[in-house]
Amino acid sequence: MNSSIAITLPPGRRAGRPLKIPFGALPVPGLLLVVFGLILPLLLMARYSVAIYNPADIIAEGLTLDNYLRFLSEPFYREVLARTVLVAALTTFFCLILGVPAAYVISRTRSPKLRTILILCSIIPLLMGNAVRVAGWMVLLADRGLVNETLMFLNIIDASVRIMYTLTAVLLSLVAVLLPFMIITLQSVFDRIDGSYEEAAATLGARPWTAFLKVFVPLAMPGIFSGGLLVFILSMNAYASPVLLGGPSFHMMAPMVYEQAIRVFNWPFAASLAFVLMLATLLLTVVSSVLLQKKYGRM
Amino acid sequence: MRALVRSGDRFFHLAIAAIAALAFLELILPLASVVWVSFFENKIINFPPKGYTLDWYWNAWSMPRFRDGFLVSLQVGVAATLISMLVGVPAAIFLARTRFWGREVIQTVLLGPLIVPGIVAGSALFMFLIEFEVFTGVQVAQTFAGLCLGHSLIALPWTIRLVTASLVGMNQQLEEAASTMGARPFTVFRRVTLPAIRPGIIAGGLFAFVISFVDLEKSLFLVGPGTTTLPIAIVNYLEWSIDPTIAAVATVQIAAIALVMIITDRFFNLTRAF
Repeated sequence: MNSSIAITLPPGRRAGRPLKIPFGALPVPGLLLVVFGLILPLLLMARYSVAIYNPADIIAEGLTLDNYLRFLSEPFYREVLARTVLVAALTTFFCLILGVPAAYVISRTRSPKLRTILILCSIIPLLMGNAVRVAGWMVLLADRGLVNETLMFLNIIDASVRIMYTLTAVLLSLVAVLLPFMIITLQSVFDRIDGSYEEAAATLGARPWTAFLKVFVPLAMPGIFSGGLLVFILSMNAYASPVLLGGPSFHMMAPMVYEQAIRVFNWPFAASLAFVLMLATLLLTVVSSVLLQKKYGRM
Repeated sequence: MRALVRSGDRFFHLAIAAIAALAFLELILPLASVVWVSFFENKIINFPPKGYTLDWYWNAWSMPRFRDGFLVSLQVGVAATLISMLVGVPAAIFLARTRFWGREVIQTVLLGPLIVPGIVAGSALFMFLIEFEVFTGVQVAQTFAGLCLGHSLIALPWTIRLVTASLVGMNQQLEEAASTMGARPFTVFRRVTLPAIRPGIIAGGLFAFVISFVDLEKSLFLVGPGTTTLPIAIVNYLEWSIDPTIAAVATVQIAAIALVMIITDRFFNLTRAF
């Protein structure tokens, strides 16, 4: 089917000198794109994070730790970081609670059709983008949204209940946004765990709960850990859910980086916030992997 | 699993199934409700709906911010796809066919845009582009070119991953056979490798388009007057109101992505993309 394409090429084309590209040059354009689009910008931002803020000029000048000290000394910013870590931890927890059974069903179902449908149900929302999914939650949770309207119609409540602009709303949408990552990661690991382990446990008299918690979950721990880590990192950096469902007074780190960089135009502080966010993520990642490695061995 | 079913055992399977159902409800419910509300007749969301209409779609299309946002997202998506393919396919060939010691480093760098969070990478790129403008006088920040640069960057890891996957999966003896028979490397690539990995390339391109089309975090820093993408237009509108018009816009985005996904699925098993 494909050979016909090559044959129909004009013979003159083949007579021309073939392009001579050394093999080692192949990744160079891609590397250049990443160097100029990501690595140099990150280095510049590192430079900005230790620059002295000058409202009149955006050129990075001077050398100071004031931007980091400001973050550490003002309780407001420490609170923002604490809230960010708390939201990320809760999101990870709920994603695990919902994701482990969901992935378990995908990986252990005997119907290939159900399996495909469930996998697509996890991947498709992921590819729809955050804006659309946040819009969905706002339609549901607004003061005059579907949830409130339905509850009032059913006479369960008399007046609309405030769900928007609460931690609950942020968590609901964040869990929905990140759950696909959890399910996909877990499912690929669960698939590699042979069902015979659970069968062996059952044959030896273990009840399903015991087999699940004592045999399956420990075997699946590396997957549970990497899924949890991925969700934790992504929720630390969440933007759309806290801004739109948390409202103007629900401050988290990523929206604050945006505000300082674009609205306040204080680049040194924005840069230091971004690095605090990255460092906090990295630190918690390392600490949790060390702790879990102690408990479950090398992963 | 086929052991005796005791009441406690049944409870276990029921509990697992119930929680899994809750998980999928959490994923599907927001998408389903936004599509449903987009057809509501009343501007104010009511339950049960008074009636259904398609007017909100016309209303949305008549608003320049959504029409322009849709067109900008489309153009940026196509440009980012082309750029990420142009630089990504050669890089994927290198990664799949080398045993060079620095391979891991190169791969980590190329997949870097996937690792660094969008807000951090976006603010860094924004500062870099403004600084670039200060030194050269050329404006890239908040222009179409800047958007394309940022978007090809986030699309790159996906094209590389999907194309590398098909390169590793193909029968490499075909390439060896062709070069044994005297074909030059470029001829081998054009007439043996390329046809074999064509599904991977098409899927990689479509995937890159979707990743670019729905991107929100990075675009926040790259959009400017006249170059606002659809997701940004949606989020800006949502800060002020929630109505069937925005639901219609969101439904259009859902439909567009679903269409691309259906096409992708014909070339590449979607479940292998992650």
